[in-house]
Amino acid sequence: MHKMHNTSMGRVFDVFNHISLLLLGLSTFIPFVYVIAASFATEAEIAARPFFLVPETITLAAYEYIFSTNTFIRSIGVSVLVTVLGTVVSLLLTMTMAYPLSRHHLLGRNLILNLVVFTMVFNGGMIPTYMVVRSLGLLDSLWALILPVAINPFYLIIVKSFFQNLPTELEEAARIDGCSDMGVFWRIVIPLSKPVIATFTLFYAVFYWNDFFNALLYISDNAKWPVQLLLQQLMMVANVDFGEMDVMLQDPPEESLKMAVVVVATIPILIFYPFLQKHFAKGILLGSVKG
Amino acid sequence: MEKSKSLLLLLFTLLFSVMLAACSDDSDSSSSSEGNGNDSSSETESDGGEASGDSEEPYEISIMTNAYTPEPPTPESPAWQAIEDFTNTELDITYVPSSNYDERFNITLASGDLPSMILTNKTSSFINAVNDGAFWDLTDYLDDYENLSQMNDIVKNNISIDGKIYGLYRARPLGRMAVSIRQDWLDNLGMETPTTTEEFYDVMYAFTHDDPDGNGQDDTLGTIVSEYPGPWDIMQTWFGVPNKWGENEDGTLYPYFQDPAYKEALDYFKRMYDDGLVNDDFAVMDPAKWHDAYVNGEAGTVVDVADAASRNRDKMVEADPSLEGSVDVFGAVEGPNGLHHLPTSGYNMMYAISTTAVETEEELHKVLQFMDDMNTEEGQKLGYNGVEGTHYEMKDGEFVPTTDQALIYEYEDLNQLLMFVPEDRYLTEPVDDLTKKEEEVLAENEEIVVGNPAEPLVSEVYSRQGQQLDNIILDARVQYIVGQIDEAGLEEAEQLWMNSGGKEYIEEINQLYQESQ
Amino acid sequence: MAQMSMKSKKVKNEAVVSTTQLTKMQQLLRDKWLYFLLIPGALYFILFKYLPMWGVLIAFQDYSPFRGFWESEWVGAEHFLNFFQNPDFFRLLRNTLILALYDLVFFFPAPIIVALLLNELRRQYFKRTIQTLVYVPHFMSWVIIASITYIFLTTSGGAINAAVEFFTGEKINFLSNPDYFRPMIIAQVIWKETGWGTVIFLAALASVSAEQYEAAIMDGAGRFRRMWHVTLPALRSTIVILLILRLGNFLDQGFQQIFLMTNSLNRSVADVFDTYVYFVGITQGMFSYSTAVGLFKAIVGIILIYGADYLAKKMGQTGLF
Repeated sequence: MHKMHNTSMGRVFDVFNHISLLLLGLSTFIPFVYVIAASFATEAEIAARPFFLVPETITLAAYEYIFSTNTFIRSIGVSVLVTVLGTVVSLLLTMTMAYPLSRHHLLGRNLILNLVVFTMVFNGGMIPTYMVVRSLGLLDSLWALILPVAINPFYLIIVKSFFQNLPTELEEAARIDGCSDMGVFWRIVIPLSKPVIATFTLFYAVFYWNDFFNALLYISDNAKWPVQLLLQQLMMVANVDFGEMDVMLQDPPEESLKMAVVVVATIPILIFYPFLQKHFAKGILLGSVKG
Repeated sequence: MEKSKSLLLLLFTLLFSVMLAACSDDSDSSSSSEGNGNDSSSETESDGGEASGDSEEPYEISIMTNAYTPEPPTPESPAWQAIEDFTNTELDITYVPSSNYDERFNITLASGDLPSMILTNKTSSFINAVNDGAFWDLTDYLDDYENLSQMNDIVKNNISIDGKIYGLYRARPLGRMAVSIRQDWLDNLGMETPTTTEEFYDVMYAFTHDDPDGNGQDDTLGTIVSEYPGPWDIMQTWFGVPNKWGENEDGTLYPYFQDPAYKEALDYFKRMYDDGLVNDDFAVMDPAKWHDAYVNGEAGTVVDVADAASRNRDKMVEADPSLEGSVDVFGAVEGPNGLHHLPTSGYNMMYAISTTAVETEEELHKVLQFMDDMNTEEGQKLGYNGVEGTHYEMKDGEFVPTTDQALIYEYEDLNQLLMFVPEDRYLTEPVDDLTKKEEEVLAENEEIVVGNPAEPLVSEVYSRQGQQLDNIILDARVQYIVGQIDEAGLEEAEQLWMNSGGKEYIEEINQLYQESQ
Repeated sequence: MAQMSMKSKKVKNEAVVSTTQLTKMQQLLRDKWLYFLLIPGALYFILFKYLPMWGVLIAFQDYSPFRGFWESEWVGAEHFLNFFQNPDFFRLLRNTLILALYDLVFFFPAPIIVALLLNELRRQYFKRTIQTLVYVPHFMSWVIIASITYIFLTTSGGAINAAVEFFTGEKINFLSNPDYFRPMIIAQVIWKETGWGTVIFLAALASVSAEQYEAAIMDGAGRFRRMWHVTLPALRSTIVILLILRLGNFLDQGFQQIFLMTNSLNRSVADVFDTYVYFVGITQGMFSYSTAVGLFKAIVGIILIYGADYLAKKMGQTGLF
């Protein structure tokens, strides 16, 4: 009786759940479809129709412009390089730092954690950070886009608490087998942390991909501009500084071109997600604890 | 596992070596920190020595400027090299994306190693640097140069700081504001291009209510306005409202909204709104979509800039070729107090010359000579059109630019170096009638511009509170137009402005103004 | 039950004893490899976070970038006084606080709810598809979102307003009525960031074992009780940490979003610290003044973070440390 009630309730819930999530998914995706559609539309159509999902006349003009030179392809290459390299560096630094901080008995642990949290709220600002980057000789190097932002304290704290919640049985077993802390970290903790790694690979990769501000400050050589900087340029010039744009020398960018650059700059990181998804969808601890 | 360990090791050594590098770098810079940029100055000195000894040696100029394209030119560009040859210089140009130029400018200022020339606005950080002696006072040098000596007096006044000139401005038309209007709608209704504010009202009224496009439907508007307040500013100037500051007979300044004409203008706007001549969502309309209604034939006029007329015309013709010739443009209409036009500041940023990178008068002369050369016909052509035979052809005396995007990038952003003083001397494609008309409007407007007497003055209060002060008045104007507040509300807003630092602002400006006289 | 806790207390005591028996030196030596692992991260924080921290001092100076730090004039608390005495200070503070509260109450739970709902889906392909779709808006810039918002909400032909008019016979000025400003801002944030926010909760949920669910089912727990007793507790520490950390940036609002959605008719509720600082700091280049404002925000953040951490520990949660 009780159970039946539950299952029928459960069924109602299931239907409701499917429908609401489907609506949510559509509401988040349809605007992006508009962006894609607008990137293939003519300027006249974008001006005439407020919203559409399929353009009346399909034109490739915006994409022809983007790919008429190697500028955008090169900038995507820069973005990919920075993203891959940056994510590897960030993950290594974050994991190696988070693990010791997750051990309660570590002397000075609280002090270090406090110092880390402090930096999340307090920072010296743009100018002193620039001075440090410059004195390290990193200006105009892609490392300037990585090293100054290598550890996100926010992520560090979360990874630390993930480590804290790992079951201790395996570690103890390894220690009895004669593993040092180093051994425990590489052989037990890291393999157990696949979902964490997958999650923070995603977080760091998206961060590096979306960042344009550091490139703006540290990179003068335009051959090293990441694609987000070009996107930012196209989007902002005609908007925030409205009325200030130097229109006498440059026409404002066409709407379809802006949309096409959004598509080109977003698709690579979007398709990255489903690949990582299956990793953090896996049950993690179960198998290893049992085995 | 071994692999990850060695990776860690690699990273570790990397971080460590970086750390070591940091230390040695630090000690280096601290040892020479007394005269900031000692190294670079001694280098440039020796360079300068060589150059003066042998006049063939090109002079090295470093420049930081804006980039508007995704691919600014590089030293390999033929146009870049042609400029170097023409001016006998060696250029080191840093291009910064224009969207966030301010941040990069401030960082560069703070880092201490300024390039020879840096593009700047008249911000408070620039003015502070000027007061600290970071940039050359050019006032007494300009007359020695053929083109630089012909800088426009109004613009010179606008860029001046305490009456002195610290920059080479990049000229833009002073009289750029104008109204695009549907000529075919005027023809359909048998009306003439308006010449007074009341005629303009009648035209907008007829455009709204008399079916100017003849489709039998009530689907048109007199004019279209967006969140961007420009059109109201332009139109209120027609009524004789001062440009930011008005001058009393005793020589004191008062803010524009205290002028009696301001109320007249606002009542006109309110009438426009109440009669439905303007879109009722103007206060929230996305500025990026502003011109769409005009391009689509929903609105008959748009009050913006002269060059918008041909840009919009091109889009209209793309959708419907029969609309060729349906757009006209005019500068200003006469108000109850005469013919007035709201000018732009007349420039788009300026180049300031650093006293640390350019140490001697001799070097200063070379930099100024470079900029003067870039104003000649040859210089403007190289900077704006590129190299003949590569970037453009002359066919039967007509200018034909390349359409190859990669080649266009080779020269396009070099135009950021140009001042266009005393005039535009580059090549243009043969212009059509509308573009010609736009140019005429620019010239006519320049005759009737209303100057802002406080433009050269720099207010401390404004730096801190300016945006809030501006918003109080701009918001009240919109609220009055849409009927959210009445005259009492306008007065309240003025009172609020006074109490929010406006009083101090007026006092400060007046004091600065007296000092500058 | 009581026995259990006795036992764990005993274990804890033993651990304490064994630690105190070692001298500090011995402890350091024992954990040498842990300290070794710490070094690269510590270097990072020293180099890029603590070395530049002298920068906050320019809040007490009339900092001139060209003159540099040492040559700039010290002015004490002048910039702070100017800021607090700004006639708009309380309006900015009120707007900032209200928006921050709205954000906390309405946006913060959104990713948790969606993660819970996603977790209930059994068809993997459906679950993954939805996950991917809801995460797309995170990559859209505010400029585009503002433009799309205008397209849908405008009173002249916006789809949503057309629907509202159909049902109620009247249009609603979402974009200009100050009453709708905060809900609109929060709705945009929810739309843009909820999907992205679920990632971390889904990752945390991945650690809930099927056994725990099976055990709950054996106990006869229904759908909602399982959610309440198994799923939610698994998220608890993540939720607490994210909440505490969020408080550190309590007074930060996205400048760009607010800036783009503000207009003459709703500015009374839209002006926040971040829009103000943008004009003063970036457009006008007044470093010292904007640093002072930033410092004020940071101090509020520090107080909130540590206060919340203290409270969390009081309430028996692990907290940050």
